Amino acid sequence: MTAVVTARPRVQPASGRGRRALVWIAEHAALVALAVLALAPVVFVVLTSLMTSQQALTASIIPKVWDWGNYVRVFRTVPLAQWFGNSALYAVLSTVFMLVSSVPAAYALATVRFRGAGLLFTAIVVAMLLPPQVTAVPVYVFWSQLHLTGTLWPLILPNLLGDAFSIFLMRQFFLTLPAEFADAARVDGCGEWGVLWRVVLPMARPGIAAAAIFLFFNSWNDYYGPLLYTSENSASWPIAYGLATFRGVHGTDWSITMAMTVIITIPVVVIFFFAQKAFVEGIALTGVKG
Amino acid sequence: MTRIRAAAAVAAAAVLLLAGCSTGGGDAIASKAPTTVQGTVSFWHFFTGREAGVLKTAVTAFEKANPKVHVVIHDGQDDEKLQKAISAGQPIDLGLSYSTDIVGTFCSTGAFRDLKPYIARDRVDLGSLPAAVRSYTQYKGKRCVLPVLSDATALYMNTDLLQKAGISTPPKTLDELEADALKLTTYNPDGSIKTLGFNPLMGFQENTPQHFSAIIDGKFLDAKEDSVIGKSADWKALMQWQKGFVDRIGYAKLQRFTAGLGQEFAADTPFEKGRIAMVLDGEWRTAFIASDKADVQYATAPFPTASNHTDMYGATYITGNIAGIGKGATNPEAAWALLKYLALDTRTQVLLGNGLKNVPTLTSALNSSDLQVGDQYKTFVDAAKNPRTITSPASKNGAAYLNDFEESWDDYQTHGGDLDAILKKLDSTIDDANALSGP
Amino acid sequence: MTVTVAAVRRPRRRSLEGRRRRTALVMLAPAIAGLVLFFGLPLVVSVLLSFTRFDLLSAPQFVGLLNYTYLFTQDPDVGTAALNTLWFVVILVPVRTVCAMLVAGLLARVRRGSGVWRTLLYLPALVPPVASVVAFVFLFNPGTGPVATVLQAFGIQSPLWFNDPALAKPSLVILGVWVTGDLMIVFLAAMLDVPRDLYEAAGLDGASGVQKVRFITLPTIAPVIGFAVVTGVIAALQYFTEAAVASGVASGKATVGQGTATGLGYPNQSLLTYTEYLYAHGFAEYQLGYASAMAVVLFVISAVLLGLTMRRISVFRMAS
Repeated sequence: MTAVVTARPRVQPASGRGRRALVWIAEHAALVALAVLALAPVVFVVLTSLMTSQQALTASIIPKVWDWGNYVRVFRTVPLAQWFGNSALYAVLSTVFMLVSSVPAAYALATVRFRGAGLLFTAIVVAMLLPPQVTAVPVYVFWSQLHLTGTLWPLILPNLLGDAFSIFLMRQFFLTLPAEFADAARVDGCGEWGVLWRVVLPMARPGIAAAAIFLFFNSWNDYYGPLLYTSENSASWPIAYGLATFRGVHGTDWSITMAMTVIITIPVVVIFFFAQKAFVEGIALTGVKG
Repeated sequence: MTRIRAAAAVAAAAVLLLAGCSTGGGDAIASKAPTTVQGTVSFWHFFTGREAGVLKTAVTAFEKANPKVHVVIHDGQDDEKLQKAISAGQPIDLGLSYSTDIVGTFCSTGAFRDLKPYIARDRVDLGSLPAAVRSYTQYKGKRCVLPVLSDATALYMNTDLLQKAGISTPPKTLDELEADALKLTTYNPDGSIKTLGFNPLMGFQENTPQHFSAIIDGKFLDAKEDSVIGKSADWKALMQWQKGFVDRIGYAKLQRFTAGLGQEFAADTPFEKGRIAMVLDGEWRTAFIASDKADVQYATAPFPTASNHTDMYGATYITGNIAGIGKGATNPEAAWALLKYLALDTRTQVLLGNGLKNVPTLTSALNSSDLQVGDQYKTFVDAAKNPRTITSPASKNGAAYLNDFEESWDDYQTHGGDLDAILKKLDSTIDDANALSGP
Repeated sequence: MTVTVAAVRRPRRRSLEGRRRRTALVMLAPAIAGLVLFFGLPLVVSVLLSFTRFDLLSAPQFVGLLNYTYLFTQDPDVGTAALNTLWFVVILVPVRTVCAMLVAGLLARVRRGSGVWRTLLYLPALVPPVASVVAFVFLFNPGTGPVATVLQAFGIQSPLWFNDPALAKPSLVILGVWVTGDLMIVFLAAMLDVPRDLYEAAGLDGASGVQKVRFITLPTIAPVIGFAVVTGVIAALQYFTEAAVASGVASGKATVGQGTATGLGYPNQSLLTYTEYLYAHGFAEYQLGYASAMAVVLFVISAVLLGLTMRRISVFRMAS
């Protein structure tokens, strides 16, 4: 991969077409190699998920018998449908709650100047960056006093009170929007809620979509939160946590484990392809240029 | 300034609130046992799969005997989860754990309620429990659990493989075990292990310090719960023997072989598949082999001992399932009724013994003619009755000292190094942790 | 600051501003409540609890500096855990950053089909972390995994990867590089933002490719790199999921008879990170006072780090 940078030829006005072709070949060879490395694990996993469990314990790569039954068996081995539902509940509710609480907050932070805004913004950035373990003990005690441990609610409900990262991300996006439309609406007598609802939201859809997708994926993928709050109650497990405990309980049944690995990934990939543009823009936005 | 003071006040109030909330209600009980118990009982236990099914039959029988009681079972709950649920105040009526390690923690913190008032009120005779079992179910005079069957370990041998290697009697000492194991180990052309005689890696399946303790009559803690491990020449010799055994085959070779093995509690477990000829395992394996319909021909024998502790041959390390009434129990009377049914009823103990092949913890059940004792299972029943049989002491830190020990041992088998220094550090680690968790 | 501005404005205008501010406050109210309830207050309580012995079952007991003394002078594993975390900060973050930059640089040069290449190389980053760890432990299984099979074909004996204390962390770095797609997109976006004419002008001046990267690309995307490194370091400080799942899956221990905490760190403590150790103390052994002390130490380290870097990163500043 280091070849990528060093392979760039010295730009000499006399350099011919041949050299440019060589560079093209080098670049694409590197791309192909990278793509193979990126995809090979996925291919191996899918192939293993189609092996019989006996074969998965041997050093072979191609299934002798294509055993699609693993994808059925995994639903019988563990309450996968229930875990899937838990994941969906966790991810969807979190996202909806976050949108309700954080879109107005991000908008206010981006457009209205008031005393203490700077302090508030810094607090949000710090809350977003600090490791959650720093506050884990008191927060856990808090939820245990409400008798909500053992469920996913301690992970879902806080989104009603704003999610720091989402606020930060959407605020950055709101800042990039032209102010003229909003000002025109205000002149027409629109209140701030009206401006947000009628003017800003339609323009800010990609930014809001990005924040929503991030939170959705974060909830879908979350392991630490469910470990902390639901480990003692398998009926509340989301699928990611279930997968992590899977091999412990069901041994080296690699083929079923790999089938479950594929199943947990599918929704993410599907959503990605539907919302690719917003997603990629959102990622770029997280690293935003100042 | 005022803002800081206000924040501190709010925080302090929050802490007080937590404290106030979590001290919970008292343990006062009715002066007379209710004539009929009723209501819902939540019952948490760690069993899964077939074993959970066996326990379910016992629970169903209990419900039949007490038609007004409904038992809600939460299975697959290991100690960590059980403790998490109880600590977080979830209403667990009866909790069943696989390890006596938690007795110290659960009794001293009140996670499990003190059973003395119930025992006194209902005039329960604990003399029906074997002495060793009676001792591991209490901590500093506080009895918060009753035993529900126990576990012992012994040596499992694949008789086909032993015969092929010309071994006709079970090994009785560590040196014999090692010699037999090396004889039984075969290799692939590329030098990797094909069949292993005995896997000496610490941490493999049931290879733990506590299961190894009967080999040398090993002690862990003194009366103050300070470590005595590092002061024992026997532990040191045992670790050196184990490390030597590992090195004779090769640590990396063993790791590579172990990583490719099936899992302990699945049908592809290496002993049942004939990939390892001898294993240290619990009595439950006999039931697994039967239910997995594994075609392995096998015998059991007491685990070998160190040559200076041959008097321990036939004894074992015993520990067991224990059950107690949770701090947050909403229906303690029904939980107590279920607990008595599981722990003190001869027929239930025989039923569970036959189903799980765990060793009953009631003398009457151990001697019952209804208990099906085959040759392979008999080794464990005899070992459980052996007067030299030992257990590990309860401590306020639970199993922390055993985990620390295993960690140090793992460190030694991986990296070697100065064993005296490792053991000395282990002792101070255990003692320091005692200071942290307080009196 | 707005007060002085508003003061010179006409009354009608001021009341409008006031209404805007009041509405803004309403809009921000949930978030402010959230910050207090789930961030500010717990932070203070953490500090208070760190001076106590607390098991959640009985009231916290004041023990002075005992937890801190134990942490800094006696705890046998906290040093290992901190060093493991530091290892991830020092190795994982730069390796991921450099790899992502190289791939982004390559993608930035390719015109035709760049969208396809970008999607292909990004895909691994989509795989949920738990799934990718489980998959990698399987792929790198030294006995029967595909990597071992492939190596075998070249006559190489597979290392023990996730089962070898010396290789477990590097194995996770390989995984970290595989899922580096999000960083790659960030860098790619920044690189594509570099004005083309800068390169062309440099080209006319006879600058070499390396010189262009060094004097044009890197300085322009420097803020993005800074942001990526800071957030990467913060993420590495809380490295948990990948290490915990890798230990659990590689050790193959049954959860029956084994809590999550006992499997943490396998093999031989090499994957025991600071946050895992905090979790084990707090939520497996229920030494919540001690876990709070560990949390306070983590807070101090993160806060110092943030204090040193936040001002330099423009997106973390209010005004932009």
